[in-house]
Amino acid sequence: MAVSLEIISTMEKTRKILRKSQEFHFQNGKSISQFELAYDTYGKLNKAMSNCILVCHAFSGSHHAAGKFDNDEKNGWWDEFIGDGKTIDTNKYFVVSVNNFGSCFGSSGPKSICPETKKPYGIDFPDVTVLDWVKSQKILMEELKIPHWEMVAGGSLGGMQALQWAISYPDIVKKACVIAATAQSSPQNIALNEVAREMIKKDENFHDGNYFEKNAIPKVGLMTARMLGHITYLSENNMQKRFGRKKQNPESKVETDVIYEIENYLRYKGDKFSEIFDANTYILMTKAMDEFNICGDNENDFQLILKKIKAKLLIISFESDWLFPSWHSKFIQKNAMKVGISSSYIELEGSYGHDSFLFASDEYCNIVENFLNFNDG
Amino acid sequence: MMDRHYQIDRWIPDGSKILDLGCGDGSFLKDLSEKKEITGFGVENDFEKINLCIKNGVSVLHHDIDDGVKEFSGMDFDITIMASSIQCVRNPKRVLKDILKVSKRCIITIPNFGYWKIRFGLFNGRMPISKRLPNKWYETKNIHLCTIKDFEELCLNNELKIIEKHFLNEDGESIKNTFLANLFAAEGVYLVGSR
Repeated sequence: MAVSLEIISTMEKTRKILRKSQEFHFQNGKSISQFELAYDTYGKLNKAMSNCILVCHAFSGSHHAAGKFDNDEKNGWWDEFIGDGKTIDTNKYFVVSVNNFGSCFGSSGPKSICPETKKPYGIDFPDVTVLDWVKSQKILMEELKIPHWEMVAGGSLGGMQALQWAISYPDIVKKACVIAATAQSSPQNIALNEVAREMIKKDENFHDGNYFEKNAIPKVGLMTARMLGHITYLSENNMQKRFGRKKQNPESKVETDVIYEIENYLRYKGDKFSEIFDANTYILMTKAMDEFNICGDNENDFQLILKKIKAKLLIISFESDWLFPSWHSKFIQKNAMKVGISSSYIELEGSYGHDSFLFASDEYCNIVENFLNFNDG
Repeated sequence: MMDRHYQIDRWIPDGSKILDLGCGDGSFLKDLSEKKEITGFGVENDFEKINLCIKNGVSVLHHDIDDGVKEFSGMDFDITIMASSIQCVRNPKRVLKDILKVSKRCIITIPNFGYWKIRFGLFNGRMPISKRLPNKWYETKNIHLCTIKDFEELCLNNELKIIEKHFLNEDGESIKNTFLANLFAAEGVYLVGSR
């Protein structure tokens, strides 16, 4: 008889919510009168409080970055990197992971109840930006009395936050690891996001964003938007290898009109996503991505902005990523180089397209580990 | 300390901004930044070497020099270094031409293919192996080897001024008598600028 052994991790972890009855002012001028920030911590804070790392999640991620909590079905999104003896070793480091404003996984967002109206914010939740997230993470940092981050790291939209941190708070970020990200969303990024938003908005159950009041959910729109998104996270090569032109086994078809495995996969993923994600959140998050432009209007502006950085930068891209192609990353490093900011850039192969930032490989782990553990002394 | 480092160090002013094309594991830049507080950036195309740079805390850019070096112009580099890397590029002539658009001065070191031991190796009918050129012909990254005479001729024809030069033996020590350098030097170390 086969015996399955589950290795029980001894990593210390906590899941908490910071509740503040103070206003938060968003970059767009709007504010909410109180807010909540859901966050996880992994590992142990040392006495000197000098071992803290902030990891920032991507578009549809959450504060659940590592391990499994009681109700979790799966491990956190960066579990391959964070844990005892892993790249970000929780025997050594104390990792903080915050759910971003506007999300639907615990921090204040469209699903939260507005204290003034006693109804969910829905479409009225303020537009969020990467800078708003960084500011909210700073509030949590102060609350936890963390004096500085040894490293701020993130992939995709999370990488944009890492870069923003290094720029906005240069004195308290020692290292920033910016992965599969960009300094400026491209017209192609905006175009893809716009198609996704239109899919959601044109769903008859969207009701101009007030679907909660109508007891409806724009499930079809959300599902289709995610299907499109999912294609952009993978590479052609990856799809070829994983699915090829294989036809779906009739017994496991999600719907009878499905022919190919790739169709079945996308519908399955889209459907699952539509059950856990919020449509207004989808719109907010894609808008935040579109708005991200840390470059200003030209390279000179960008260099002036980068000049503020005191952290060491590690910028990683993946060859198979066509959502944020390598040149976006190289562009950041070369401008940092121009103004003499300590910065490195590397392009890794990555076989998963944009999603490569989630998956550990020897090369990827080595680089991040060496970067993190280098000490100026 | 080897004379190679000594010679190169002399050409690098304190606090300058350095680009090291083909920086290897970054140890040279690391040394320099400890001694002279330079701001250094390495360019490397080999993953293992990039990884070592990161481990050494050296800033490194993943880039293939064969794709050009012009893109590093306008970045205010004071000096560009190409230590034993010019012979690895596909188009050394173009690199030499472009390199002075990156910085006004450039330090280039070359393994001398005119070195007597190498001539001796060829005399035996085999591709030579030496301390400076340790790999077999099918494993070497050196695709454009040259002699000291060849290199200086290329500089001359490309309007590159050799400001200072030194010749080293196999152990990296300076050769005092430079009369037959093309025969007795294992390596040439050059400081070049525009004519």
